Amino acid sequence: MLTRNPKIRKGLFMALCCLIGISVWGSPVQANGNADSYNYSYWGRTVASPAAYTATGSVNGLDIGIGILKEPSDIQVTSDNYVYILDSGNNRVVILDQNYKLFNVIDSFDNEGTIETLLNPQGLYVTQDKKLLIADTGNKRIVELDKDNNLIKVIEAPQSELLNSTFDFQPVRVVADKAQRIYVMSIGVFDGLMEFSAAGEFNTFTGANRVNVDPLEYFWKTISTQEQQSKMIMFTPTEFTNLDINEEDFLYVTNGDQWGENIKMLNAQGSDIMRRNGYFTPQGDIRYYSDEGPSRLVDIDVTDSEIFSVLDAKRGRIFTYNGDGHLLYVFGGLGNKLGEFKTPTAITRMGNDFLVLDKALGEITVFQTTEYGRMLNEAVRSYYRGDEEKAFDYYQQTINMNSNLEFAYGGIGKALLRQGNYKEAMSYFKKSMDQKNYSKAYLLYRKEVLREYFSIIMTGIFILVVGISIATRYRKIVRRKRGIFIE
Amino acid sequence: MNRDLVKYPLYLILHPFDGYWELKYERNQKQSLIFAIAILFMLALTNILSSQYSGFVVHIVDPKSMNSFMEIIYVLVPVLFFCIANWSLTTLLDGEGKFVEIFTSTCFALIPLVLINFPWIWLSNVISMEESVFYYFSSSLALIWFVFMLFIGNMTIHQFSPSKSILTILLTIVAMGFMAFLSLLFFSLIQQIISFISVIYQELALRN
Repeated sequence: MLTRNPKIRKGLFMALCCLIGISVWGSPVQANGNADSYNYSYWGRTVASPAAYTATGSVNGLDIGIGILKEPSDIQVTSDNYVYILDSGNNRVVILDQNYKLFNVIDSFDNEGTIETLLNPQGLYVTQDKKLLIADTGNKRIVELDKDNNLIKVIEAPQSELLNSTFDFQPVRVVADKAQRIYVMSIGVFDGLMEFSAAGEFNTFTGANRVNVDPLEYFWKTISTQEQQSKMIMFTPTEFTNLDINEEDFLYVTNGDQWGENIKMLNAQGSDIMRRNGYFTPQGDIRYYSDEGPSRLVDIDVTDSEIFSVLDAKRGRIFTYNGDGHLLYVFGGLGNKLGEFKTPTAITRMGNDFLVLDKALGEITVFQTTEYGRMLNEAVRSYYRGDEEKAFDYYQQTINMNSNLEFAYGGIGKALLRQGNYKEAMSYFKKSMDQKNYSKAYLLYRKEVLREYFSIIMTGIFILVVGISIATRYRKIVRRKRGIFIE
Repeated sequence: MNRDLVKYPLYLILHPFDGYWELKYERNQKQSLIFAIAILFMLALTNILSSQYSGFVVHIVDPKSMNSFMEIIYVLVPVLFFCIANWSLTTLLDGEGKFVEIFTSTCFALIPLVLINFPWIWLSNVISMEESVFYYFSSSLALIWFVFMLFIGNMTIHQFSPSKSILTILLTIVAMGFMAFLSLLFFSLIQQIISFISVIYQELALRN
């Protein structure tokens, strides 16, 4: 019936042409769009962003030739690119070289004549001089080995008046600073990280999380009886979920807080000194479905130039921030494709590459930078070094690839401000929504303009004043004359 | 006459008691009404211009949320709500003011908001962050002035004592809340009725 009517037939034909046209022109645009990732704008909207990292491959136990990795829980890369994997289920540490070929396997050590093994270890840390610290969770101890696999010391459950009698030492994560102090995260400890001296003595707790109280729950608690209260959940500070240490011995920790700061940078005193000058505080996703809830951060990795990354186990994403707390890029996700995970547990960097460890799959996914990611990394680094010329160039190229990256405009603005190009700087600060620096640039610009036109403005004022005074005097004279005339 | 049009509002905001007395008993009501509407229009214009042209140092606006039409609504609706609520209350509380008088007095109280905020749209472009204190100071000054004028206006129009006029203004605010609630209810019910009818129409239309 439709085809009999020539008018409708014509219309259909046109529609078909249009559809084909759309699909023909549509696909290459998508390919060029390259919007495989996202970032958050100043207004908290999700904006498209090019991918900074792409998965280039994955490594599992069979590839290495040591059998399947069973529930590996931690990974670290040394500065000379040796990869240490803690194969918890098999109670061993696997060491790979930079080409992901097997270098060594540590599954036992010699403790004064007896050969001892690990039991369900959960965390490892490799120091600069390649000493290996293992949080041997099942055996409730920390084992420190030197680079030739000889035992240096074993830290057993500490005795201290700070700890109560029922204290159970279950270390799960461990790091050491340059002064050989050892920081341990232990299950069921709410007082913060346990700090051990170089000799392995327990010193103190550091960096305890604050108690975050749900106001509604607090209300119920205040009106309930003693007996009811004893049945309720106690308000305890949240436990840490992971920690890392940077070159300057600042500890970076993540915790499972829903409301408070879930990423902290602790100084030697244990106080939080993280700069949160980004558009949003670093916390993973800021937009999420309410039934899914906010990000659950399970690992943190800090690299040079105060750049740090956190791993969100809930959505399998890796968020990277700079030292000011600006979100640089996001990648990863849950799924079955290359570059997606099932149960990501640990991240680490090998140079510029990211290694993400998946616990259930027993597999490491390797991510490498795209051109955009490289530019952005270099921009942040050169800005951190104080090399503003270079930072200017890199930021310029970055925003050429991603004009949605608002904080990059601020980086350009700062370089321009330093160069003395105040007017341009103002426009860039405006784009990065940076009122403080805009005001700074504006003050300098205003001073410049006023200085330039000072003589003209002053002459104008002088002429105006003289003119007004002459005019008033003239009017007075006229009025007086008229008055005389009338009289 | 023309000169008086400019002079009278200035006189009113500086001498509110005499000014409002004049407004109630001596001035041409039609002329005042026209002027009151003009003030409303100018306030809406000020708000629109301020959301567009205010300096970056004091004002960051999300371009996606900017809507001139809504700015007009934001001025018009609260004023009308206030007038209706105030009129409803004061008729019960022996106020002497007629609705027109309430409306004009309320609009005339808005003059400081226009007079102070309008120049600051342009001035805020030439200030730095440290100087923005002056901006915030004058906008709060404008607000306080407005509240004061509203109070005096209400008192004079209804010939209330100060305490009674404070009470009526507070009650007016409560009444405004009620009105907002009722109109929300009304609109949501209307919406549901419309959607119900349209669904029935769709059902019938698609049956064939």
